[in-house]
Amino acid sequence: MTSNQAFALALRTLSRNRLRTFFMMLGLTVGIGSLTALSSVGESTKQETMRRFKRMVGTFDTVIVRPGAGRTRGMPSLTTVEPSLKFDDAQAMATEVPSVRRVAEVQNAFDIDVKYRDKTASPSVFGVSSNWTDLRDDEVAQGSEITDADIQGLARVAVIGADVKANLFGDEDPIGKTFRIADVPFQIQGVLASRGAGPGGGSLDNLVLIPVTTASKRLFNRDFLTMVIAQLKDPEQGDRAVEEITALLRERHHIVPPAQDDFTITNPRAAMARVTEVGSTLSKVLTGVAAMATVIGGVVIMSLMLIAVSERRTEIGVRRSVGASRTDIMIQFLLEAVTVSALGGIAGIAIGAGGTTVATMIQQLPPAIVWSAIGSAVLLSLAIGLVFGLQPAWKASNVDPIKALRS
Amino acid sequence: MIEMSHVSKTYERRDGTPVAALRDVSFSIGAGEFVTVRGPSGSGKSSLLNILGCLDTPSEGTYLLAGEDVSRYSDKERSSVRCRRIGFVFQSFNLLPRTTALENVEIPMVYSGDRVDRAKASAILRRVGLAERAGHFATELSGGEQQRVAIARALMNDPPLLLADEPTGNLDSVAGASIMQLLSDLHQEGRTIVLVTHDEQVASHASRELLLRDGMLVSDRQQALIHATP
Repeated sequence: MTSNQAFALALRTLSRNRLRTFFMMLGLTVGIGSLTALSSVGESTKQETMRRFKRMVGTFDTVIVRPGAGRTRGMPSLTTVEPSLKFDDAQAMATEVPSVRRVAEVQNAFDIDVKYRDKTASPSVFGVSSNWTDLRDDEVAQGSEITDADIQGLARVAVIGADVKANLFGDEDPIGKTFRIADVPFQIQGVLASRGAGPGGGSLDNLVLIPVTTASKRLFNRDFLTMVIAQLKDPEQGDRAVEEITALLRERHHIVPPAQDDFTITNPRAAMARVTEVGSTLSKVLTGVAAMATVIGGVVIMSLMLIAVSERRTEIGVRRSVGASRTDIMIQFLLEAVTVSALGGIAGIAIGAGGTTVATMIQQLPPAIVWSAIGSAVLLSLAIGLVFGLQPAWKASNVDPIKALRS
Repeated sequence: MIEMSHVSKTYERRDGTPVAALRDVSFSIGAGEFVTVRGPSGSGKSSLLNILGCLDTPSEGTYLLAGEDVSRYSDKERSSVRCRRIGFVFQSFNLLPRTTALENVEIPMVYSGDRVDRAKASAILRRVGLAERAGHFATELSGGEQQRVAIARALMNDPPLLLADEPTGNLDSVAGASIMQLLSDLHQEGRTIVLVTHDEQVASHASRELLLRDGMLVSDRQQALIHATP
């Protein structure tokens, strides 16, 4: 029997027993469908998380140094951090750490009152170096960014985020206008392009950038930093940079073992890997259930095939009598099992991928059809058919044609 | 065509005691003969037919079919012999349900390694007088028609040897007579036919009769063809 004939025979047998075929496919369709949907939704969510993370951090070729030993949640601010990280520390990182290309100094505070005429808002205010927009991958949509001259001249200039513009100015052009940050007048020289939502869902656009020197001396009157962003010469060298900066700061801060660091270094690349690799427990449980459904689908195929072998003893006998060898019979039944499981799998993939597409559209997540997941779903269904078809096929090949033809 | 020498077949009962179904049976059948095998039930007719049909192998002795010693062949080799050289006709027809007459006739072709030749299958159905029934399912046919389809199926790969096991046993006398007429015609066309029966009327169609009793060949006689077509 040629493979085409064998395949045609399998399809014909399956189509002549539609109800049985339907039930054989059902379990596998549900299992494979759930697996496809879960992996696609998981991938979609992961991509969205990565996108938001990237949006928050800006670039991945940096490490972030913050004062304080504890892992404080959220962004550091002037009221919550130790005053241990100084301007000199930042300069030392830039000049003495070999893996660091340059640093951005940041002094920020949350919920600062800003006013323009009768309108108020409470954005975060970031005192930053002139290289901030570069290191954060921020774009100035309108006007100009903060310059070295602004830094040196302690200029009272500001670049505002999209939310602040919307709140204070509406449709009015803010460039050149003067507004007040904590009652200190600043002139607006630029507007940042919107970054959208961060990983937690909050807006990343509710902020005002001013020169870090101005922030330190004219606004907040503090001489320490809340954050230093160090750009690496080689993005792959994050771990080395963390070590080198740790050594430098411990020396500069005169920390000796067993005393702990009075600063915290975050490697965004490593942090994101952690965030995206750890799937939720729920999704793991669901995946387990779906995998179980898939296996049960295989068991259903096996049971129904075993019953079919008993019902089809005459057919087996006839085929044997007209020249089918035991191998021919074995292949015939195995092929039926594999065909039905492949059909079940394909139906499952179609349902799973279709459902995912609809779900991601509703949730406004990026559509994520994971081809590798679909590929493994196809392989899994074929494997299920092969494994669970083996026993029925073996039983069929062992039917004694003499007895089968006499009954 | 067929050369059986000193063939014995012993089965084991469930409790392990051996049962001799055939004892030291020897005979030969030439090409083109029409032979009936008769005997009471339990005489070994079926065991003999299974060995003749390469569905079973003898416990002792040799069986030459067209010069090949098939008694020691593997399952695969015997399958190939069944495919090319032997056509079976059964008492209970054994057509596949949910399958048309034409598709039933085509079944042997897929194991011969040739392409399925639908025109040839139609021609054979026409030969057995069922051209207009080709598209009917087996369950929609009468007993006589089902047996005709079964004979057509047996003829599909042009085997020189036809083995029939009580082919008229499940048929009324009219249908049975027409099936016997068809087998006689096929014999006239040059096929070798071995027919197992305990019906003397049926046996009278053949030119030679083998009589089995208790697994032994007790008589082998030529007889006049009283029903042969002129």
